[in-house]
Amino acid sequence: MLVARAVEAGYPGKQILFGVDLHVARSEVVALLGANGSGKSTVLNTLSGFVRPQAGSIAFDGEEIAGRPPHLVFRRGIIQVSQARDLFTDMSVEDNLRLGAWVRGGAVAELLDSVYRSFPRLAERRRQQVRLMSGGEQQMVALGRALMGSPKLLLLDEPSGGLAPAFVNEIAAIIKALKARGIAMMMIEQNIKLALSIADRFLILRNGRVSEHHDTRAGRASEEEIVRSIYL
Amino acid sequence: MLAVLPQLVVSGIATGMLYALIALSLTVGYRATTVVNFGHGEMVMAGAYALFVFAGFGLSFAPALILALGLLFLWGALTQRVFMRPIISGPHLSLAMMALAIGYAMRGGARLRWGSEVVTLTRPYSQDVFMLGPMVVTMDDLAISGFVLVLMGSLSILFYLTPVGRLVQAVFQSQRGAALVGLNVHAFHAMMWGVGAALGAAGGALLGLFLPLSPDMGVWTLVRGFAAMTLGGFGSFHGAVIGGLLLGVMEKLLGFYINTVFIDITAYLITILVLLIRPAGLFGRQTVVRI
Repeated sequence: MLVARAVEAGYPGKQILFGVDLHVARSEVVALLGANGSGKSTVLNTLSGFVRPQAGSIAFDGEEIAGRPPHLVFRRGIIQVSQARDLFTDMSVEDNLRLGAWVRGGAVAELLDSVYRSFPRLAERRRQQVRLMSGGEQQMVALGRALMGSPKLLLLDEPSGGLAPAFVNEIAAIIKALKARGIAMMMIEQNIKLALSIADRFLILRNGRVSEHHDTRAGRASEEEIVRSIYL
Repeated sequence: MLAVLPQLVVSGIATGMLYALIALSLTVGYRATTVVNFGHGEMVMAGAYALFVFAGFGLSFAPALILALGLLFLWGALTQRVFMRPIISGPHLSLAMMALAIGYAMRGGARLRWGSEVVTLTRPYSQDVFMLGPMVVTMDDLAISGFVLVLMGSLSILFYLTPVGRLVQAVFQSQRGAALVGLNVHAFHAMMWGVGAALGAAGGALLGLFLPLSPDMGVWTLVRGFAAMTLGGFGSFHGAVIGGLLLGVMEKLLGFYINTVFIDITAYLITILVLLIRPAGLFGRQTVVRI
């Protein structure tokens, strides 16, 4: 579904990615692991159009999308949930969710129902201002907002980052449910146990290059080895 | 002395309506882009001159006004797209300087063409005067207040009751969030600068009904629009309106009861005092503002 080849990208005066190759198949979940500064977020931002690649190609469903602006990438069905969540915090939960469906359209009432079924906690708080919610609840709004856009591929940037353990389990259960629904995902996750419990494959990024890739379906990967690969 | 008070308030409200419109036009651009357009006064000036030019082609007031607003919408959008967008992620000072420079260039252009001419607009109504009890209400007061109220009503519906309003709020709260829900944020910025410029042009057209046009009228309007916006609270639509009305009334009261010089300096005094005492204004929230 998504195939990126030899992608080079970065910010003015600083190249971050050096020839990154990766792919995500339909209904597949791929985890992107790596130390801080290894370029994980830049990979997601390049795939979603926020960072323009200097070289390489990114094909989605056979169509070249490298360098396309975020709104055009979004229209193809690649939807990102950023680490900062970037919610509309003065608005209600429901307004945030409805804005998620603004561009791709669809049956908004049905989409809302579906999101509220996945996140009963949001249904209870649909009129609440997002700024008054806990980090875990805000993460649910961010995930729900992305689902309102009917994604073909979800890009998740540290969905469990900064959350209390109870919320980590809840978010993990939700992501597993999304996987069961066949939504393809690429996720950055520092919580390796969580990443391995969900992902079909994982890639390790080191200094802007993919240094290793493993298929978790082929056998149980050792967490200790993975941590060693990432940090040593 | 007190017998004049109701009259001063009525006149102040009419002038304040105009300030409210200019503050509102500044706020629309600011809400959508989080950048204050320091060249906005020249959009007001250009609107008045555009109306004059179209009226000069023999068009009556209403079609000439519609064309002037359309032209300023395009010019505002083009300004954002061509001059602001390439530097939008640069230092705040660059954005302020660019906006100022565009304003000065527009003023220079107007001076080249009309610098030595006295230009006036023709009112589309007769200059009647009505008595409201002991108070005198001019047709200018009614025309300005009526036009601004209709415009504000339309804007309230647009911003508070339609999805467009939610988008404006969304972009104001998080530009990245707006991009994450698939909005073309750059195009939206350009469009809203266009809307801000067109609203400013409407203010210029109203101003031109009772004042001769001048290439320098932008400074006068920017200062008052900015003071009204500061008083009401940066980014607040209803704050801009109430700030404009209060400024209009205060100018008249201070100018009459203390010294006429206050008509010219009230806007500056309000800006200074509000920024010192309550920087968020009456209805704004303390936020980091990109200038």
